Amino acid sequence: MTRPFGVKGRKRKKAEKYDPEDEDEETQPTESEANRDMVEDSHEEEKPAEDAQGAAAVEELEGIPIAPSERNSDKSKIIFVLERASLEVAKVGKNYQLLNSDDHFNFLRKNNKNPADYRPDIVHQALLMILDSPLNKAGRVQAVYVRTEKGVLFEVKPHVRIPRTFKRFSGIMLQLLQKLSITAAGKREKLLRVIKNPVTQHLPVGSRKIGFSYSSQKLVDMNDHVASIPSDTDLVFVVGAMAHGKVETDYTDEFLAISGYPLSAAYCLTRITGALEQKWKIL
Amino acid sequence: MAKSSSREASAQKKKKKNKSAPDVVAMKVKAPKDNPFETIWSRRKFDILGKKRKGEERRIGLARSRAIEKARACLLFSYSFSGKSSVFVDKRIGEQDEELDEFGKAVLRSQRERQKSLLKSKYNLSDGEEEEDFEGLDIQGRDDFEDEMLPDDDDAAEAGDTENNSSVAHLNNNVRIPGEGEENKHKSKKEVMDEIILKSKFFKAQKAKDKEENELLLEDLDKNFTSLVQSEALLSLTDPSKIKSLKALVNKSITNESSNKDSLSGTQRIDNSAQEKPDAYDKLVKAMALEMRARPSDRTKTPEEIAQEERERLERLEEERQKRMTGAEDSSDEDDENSEKSSKDRSKFLSGDDLGDSFSVGEETMTKKGWVDEILEREGGEGSASEDGEASDDSESSEDAGEGSDEDLDEHEKDQSLKDWEQSDDDNIDPNLEEEGEEDSGADEEEQKDAEGHDRIKDERELNDETDFGVKRYSAKSEIPYIIEAPKTFEELCSLLDNCSNSDVIMVINRIRASNAIKLAAENRKKMQVFYGILLQYFAVMANKKPLDFELLNLMVKPLIEMSMEIPYFAAICARQRIERTRMQFVQSIKNPESSGWPSSKVLFLLQLWSMIFPCSDFRHPVMTPAILLMCEYLMRCPILSGRDVAIGSFLCSMLLSIFKQSQKFCPEAIIFLRTLLTAATESKSVSHEDSQFYHHVELKALRPLLRIQETVDEICPLNFFKIIDMPDDSSFFSSDNFRASVLVAVIETLQGYIKVYKGLSSFPEIFLPFLTSLHEIVEQKNIPNALRDKIKDAAELIKLKVDEHHTSRQPLRMRKQKPVPIKLLNPKFEEDFVKGRDYDPDKERAEMRKLKKLLKREAKGAVRELRKDNSFLFDVKEKEKALIEQEKAEKYGKARAFLQEQEHAFKSGQLGKGRKRRR
Repeated sequence: MTRPFGVKGRKRKKAEKYDPEDEDEETQPTESEANRDMVEDSHEEEKPAEDAQGAAAVEELEGIPIAPSERNSDKSKIIFVLERASLEVAKVGKNYQLLNSDDHFNFLRKNNKNPADYRPDIVHQALLMILDSPLNKAGRVQAVYVRTEKGVLFEVKPHVRIPRTFKRFSGIMLQLLQKLSITAAGKREKLLRVIKNPVTQHLPVGSRKIGFSYSSQKLVDMNDHVASIPSDTDLVFVVGAMAHGKVETDYTDEFLAISGYPLSAAYCLTRITGALEQKWKIL
Repeated sequence: MAKSSSREASAQKKKKKNKSAPDVVAMKVKAPKDNPFETIWSRRKFDILGKKRKGEERRIGLARSRAIEKARACLLFSYSFSGKSSVFVDKRIGEQDEELDEFGKAVLRSQRERQKSLLKSKYNLSDGEEEEDFEGLDIQGRDDFEDEMLPDDDDAAEAGDTENNSSVAHLNNNVRIPGEGEENKHKSKKEVMDEIILKSKFFKAQKAKDKEENELLLEDLDKNFTSLVQSEALLSLTDPSKIKSLKALVNKSITNESSNKDSLSGTQRIDNSAQEKPDAYDKLVKAMALEMRARPSDRTKTPEEIAQEERERLERLEEERQKRMTGAEDSSDEDDENSEKSSKDRSKFLSGDDLGDSFSVGEETMTKKGWVDEILEREGGEGSASEDGEASDDSESSEDAGEGSDEDLDEHEKDQSLKDWEQSDDDNIDPNLEEEGEEDSGADEEEQKDAEGHDRIKDERELNDETDFGVKRYSAKSEIPYIIEAPKTFEELCSLLDNCSNSDVIMVINRIRASNAIKLAAENRKKMQVFYGILLQYFAVMANKKPLDFELLNLMVKPLIEMSMEIPYFAAICARQRIERTRMQFVQSIKNPESSGWPSSKVLFLLQLWSMIFPCSDFRHPVMTPAILLMCEYLMRCPILSGRDVAIGSFLCSMLLSIFKQSQKFCPEAIIFLRTLLTAATESKSVSHEDSQFYHHVELKALRPLLRIQETVDEICPLNFFKIIDMPDDSSFFSSDNFRASVLVAVIETLQGYIKVYKGLSSFPEIFLPFLTSLHEIVEQKNIPNALRDKIKDAAELIKLKVDEHHTSRQPLRMRKQKPVPIKLLNPKFEEDFVKGRDYDPDKERAEMRKLKKLLKREAKGAVRELRKDNSFLFDVKEKEKALIEQEKAEKYGKARAFLQEQEHAFKSGQLGKGRKRRR
């Protein structure tokens, strides 16, 4: 009542939905990292095992959570961004479902959508490929970001065990897109989280952002290309998880084609991870 | 606020008006009050496919102005009275009704006045017309407080009546609606609905009424009908068979009155039932009763029963044979055929137990039976010669066994071994079996005694035997009896089997087995055990016979295997005894350097037999383990002196290969022996260092280039082992190059077999690399035949290939091999079918609590919002009032000021007095 109409009217912009709680979390790791470094220096001789270090840190600095991703803080980090993932929730019948081309063919046709565009299985495969790779098992993947066609951006922690069946995967995605976060079973840690756009504000500073596109003129051998990159730069790989079309992002430094043939997202990711594993001798 | 904003908007419009002419026109056309914000529609936040667009049509601006309107209506209203202590209530008639105009109100008021005056003169008599008139008019205009004045009883009754009437009339009106509906042209929606409802009610009532009438009619009809049925007239008319059903129909109604008719109908009923036509169901039932019942098939026979049947069949056959023997000449061909058929049957039965070996004895022998008799008779003539041979063999075997010499020792050892045996197997044998075993061991001892005994006495008896059994034998030889008691001693068996052809021997054995099957009787087990021992001895004797009857041995394997499966425990004991004895002999013979310690053909055959009977792949087996050890010992300790030794040794090697093929155990003895043979084939006598190391283990190996091929060999023929065994040591054949070449072929093939078996061992290169050098040396010799050379090359290549494979797969020794530890994965928690807003807390109480809290919070928020809205509205109003007062004040102030200024001006200009006067 006190505000005039005009002010209110302007404010009604399409607000973005995301899981708000990242602000405090983002400051915390750096703090703990610094502390950790200190602790490591002091305890380097007596406690070679990392767990012991972690324990020591807990003893000395209570209240600071131990993030599992900080173990290899000296090495460069790998981040994957899956662009244009077709994850869309719709109300089919009475309840909400993740749209896919198989089950909702008629529904999509009725709503004048092209069923061929609704392919959440691509994201599923791509995520499995990234998270199953030895690169990830070795702890070199920092995060995976997925941006849907609708513009929802969410983060996947590298230590999630993504459901291997598609049905369960669509269940988890459905819940993620509605609840905005998925916690670990038995813990409060958030494994999947919808975050604020744009993705660039979550990427490390000074990282090299590489996009992949079949249409790119720059056809390279991934192994050679990875070998040519200095090993201390953080790498961001942007791969499209859609059925048709190409990734159009403004934040990528370069666009590469790593095969003369159009590749599936999953295979493209295996090439990338494979090249990195070869570079770092992860067997 | 809305007004102010609209005012602002209008002000803006005014400004715009001046700018352009067309706009002015447009603005004028528009309603001046229109709030532009009310036309704004709310937008959807998220476009979710398939979601109902319920909130879509909401106009926030409109809702807001409505809310303001509402607040003004009630909140402002109450606010305006908030400072007042008393309220002015306007109770004028018709003042509340906004629809009425001034004239209507006036009419109402005048009416009421008249009514009041009438009521006041209640007790005055008046004209009825007037009242009626008044009542018709009044109904609507009556006020609330007037209702409180209760009308008269009469009036009330009247009113009730009229109401009823009116409602009925109304109803009727509605029933015949359409014409009238059009007449009173305008009807509100509610009225229409009422009409429809009334109509439907009316139709329903109509229907119910119709139904009732119908039922009444039906009842009437039923009554009539029953009376008709009960009347005799109908009975006489209708078909008697249908009467019953009719009765049944009517039965309910006439239970009480039909007693007199029962007697009548009772007689009829019997006829009816006979005359009634059977319907489909009855037919079906009858057919099913007549149908054949399924019979149980013959059950599967137990092994005991089968054995019993077999025994019975043989008994029957025996009887027939006896009959024929005593003189019934009419034994026709048919009988024979029958017997053949049955024998075929039996062979079929036996095939169930068949081991898959190629022992198809039964059929052949049976089909050839016609000639067999003749042959038998012919052989009978030659019987004496062969018997002699046998006897000598027997004596030899007894000598070989050396049982006569060290009886006591033997017995002692036997006991010991039996104990060992029992102890060792206590763990894995069932109590039943153990008992059996004990029995068995008892039996075994007896048997052994028997065997020894008969060996000892044999020589004495021999002559007698011949004379005693001679007669019987010759009589029996014409035809083999069908039922044969199991022989108790070796002589009995010999006498039975003497002069029989190979096939007959097998037949005899089979008949003995059939007629004394263990499953028939308990005591048969003992009999069969004795028989098994004897049969094994017979096998050994036959194996040692100089012109080797390989066919017979081959045929005997099958019954032996089958029997040892029937009495496994006893068979194992026998085998162990024999192995021990053989080992004793071997130890004896190795002591004197002249005799070669290599096993006789008997031992070889027995070893082969056991390897077929007992499982070779067991890690530890009471029979096979000592047997294998014995074979290995032969290979290690016996000096290689002649070509015969070489042949036997390589035979042992191949036998070991076949034994180890499954279990893939490593047998260093065989490997070393093969290597020795290969070095024997090379020319170089120089022994290198590592070789000396390896010869260190091989004692007593006089290495001559036994296998070195001196001259070119044109062709390699496979060796006949049985021939070689029979040959004397110093036969010239052993020094021939043909022999050498073929032995080398055999050795290479065995080696290849070992390579294949041991290819999985991780020490493969170390085991087989030494072969490579000797193989290469042999290949380089010039006299080697081409086929052999190819084979050797193949073997060498195979070794090389496998060695390379192993070398490549070997990994360097590492300090501590640690698998990299993968990051710890966490399972996400999510629901199978997630519905937004539902609480998935497993604790119901907590969930409920949370829900309530949420509700409370929402309500509280709503209340706060409401209060805030009201407050701001009130604040607005107060502000306006204040502004108004302020304005007034300012005006007053201005006025006063103007007045004062004017006064001052007048004063200064000297017009004060005048002015004052004028003002007054």
